[in-house]
Amino acid sequence: MPERRSQVKVGLAQIDARLGDLEFNLAHHLEWIGQARAEGVELLLFPELSLTGYRLLHLTPRVAIHPATSPIVQRLCKAAPDMAVVVGCVEEDENGALYNSALLLAGDEITHVHRKLYLPTYGIFQEGRFFSEGRTLRMAKLFGNPLGILICEDFWHSDPAEKLARHGAKLIGIISAAPGRIGPDAMPPSQEAWESLTRASALLNTSWIVYCGRVGWEEGTFYTGGSHIVRPGGELLARAPYLEEHLLTAEIDLREADRLRWRLPILADERSDIEWQE
Amino acid sequence: MIRKDEVAGRLKLNEGLAVAALADFLRDGVENAGASGLVLGLSGGVDSALAGALAARAIGAERVHAFYLPYRSSEPQSAIDAAAVASRFGLELTTIDITPQVDAYFEHVDREADRVRRGNKMARERMSILFDQAKKHGALVTGTSNKSEILLGYTTVFGDNASSLNPIGDLYKQQVWQLARSLGIPETVVAKPPSADLWPGQTSEGELGFEYAMADEVLYLMFDQGLTADEVVDRGYPEVVVGRIVRLERAHRFKRRLMLIARLSGSAINLDREIPRD
Repeated sequence: MPERRSQVKVGLAQIDARLGDLEFNLAHHLEWIGQARAEGVELLLFPELSLTGYRLLHLTPRVAIHPATSPIVQRLCKAAPDMAVVVGCVEEDENGALYNSALLLAGDEITHVHRKLYLPTYGIFQEGRFFSEGRTLRMAKLFGNPLGILICEDFWHSDPAEKLARHGAKLIGIISAAPGRIGPDAMPPSQEAWESLTRASALLNTSWIVYCGRVGWEEGTFYTGGSHIVRPGGELLARAPYLEEHLLTAEIDLREADRLRWRLPILADERSDIEWQE
Repeated sequence: MIRKDEVAGRLKLNEGLAVAALADFLRDGVENAGASGLVLGLSGGVDSALAGALAARAIGAERVHAFYLPYRSSEPQSAIDAAAVASRFGLELTTIDITPQVDAYFEHVDREADRVRRGNKMARERMSILFDQAKKHGALVTGTSNKSEILLGYTTVFGDNASSLNPIGDLYKQQVWQLARSLGIPETVVAKPPSADLWPGQTSEGELGFEYAMADEVLYLMFDQGLTADEVVDRGYPEVVVGRIVRLERAHRFKRRLMLIARLSGSAINLDREIPRD
């Protein structure tokens, strides 16, 4: 693993997935890892449940893996020994519980597992029926730097991103499979909501926010794409197109978060001692 | 609070995104099923014209098999309009007259059948032909029912509402008109009064007793936004129309949940075991 350094080339693999087909999706990941390597990407994110597809319903247990011993994970690690890669999968733990998880693969091993904390179970979402909730939030590491990893709905609650930033993350990656909606404007309403969240979080948490969404259709719902990268402070750096597979890359400098924090020390000023009075 | 004068604006769609997404839906559906193409009935009306235009865009006109399926009482203009749509999008159009089989049934079984029964029979004959042609070509049947008529139940169950996949079922009638115009569907087709063309002089709005422009807004407020009938009337929509729409929507829900299965086992299809078809 290289020494701690602040420049990182990030790639967001905004791909489609074939529902319930691990082998097909693995091959698709390997192609995109190859393309990202050719572009010099050092941290590559795939969308939520990228290895299985999202709307699994009762297929969920059939595509669950034990990451530590999974041949699929081993093949991904071998394909990207020199790159940090975040993939989404159905993780089964030793007790048979299933999680919607993100794995960080780096240097030929799994260096971090994040289990989705908030499972949306409303509207078209049914995750609470098929997954167990993650209970812990920990920091991942990227080239010696703290790295935050969250999954979709985790980011619709302000606490996880804030906790990560307060514990030192200057870069927070969100992987997502958010169903899209189309309205009157050139930006789909579903993406307008996402960019409001990512930009506000980049400002309030004075951090880099990278959002990797997916595309394609699953049983009558589509995914918008529009993956994007937001600078500390909230400025949009880059956005992938809507509705098509795309590899979005950008060179980011983690020191940019430090420089903003020196000018705008709102994270350091955060207080937990304010009392509520009736 | 949503005001009455805002509603029409909220129903507008970004044409480029909507068309791209819906074409992608059809392409994905054909690919997933391993089908050779799409079959659809062109009635000369705007709904099937839009579905045909989307199908041609999705997979290429040469893989779309279009059928005009008239009965002896069909308006002569319908044949002209269906041909104009097929020609505009390069679709091969086959005409099959359904008169012999429809008349054979009623002459043999029930000469006194009213026009609604005869109309339903025509819709089901067309469905039967389209699914047979789909089998012949290894193709899928494209649905042509829009959201307004599905919610109002203005369809024949297992007739025109039957399909393998429906690209326009989440579009209100005025959204169909908007996308149809954006794709260059002939104005004679877009502008003519909607009709099921099951008997001479029939118009949808005449039978329903209100105009689609208003029905769409009422349905949007109730179905999409969750307002009560009273709240819709308070916004200035006629009480008699709102009441009629509420009754139609309630009475025809059975047409929207077609596979109603009595559950005995605890592992009933679709109720206990939701396996995605993708």
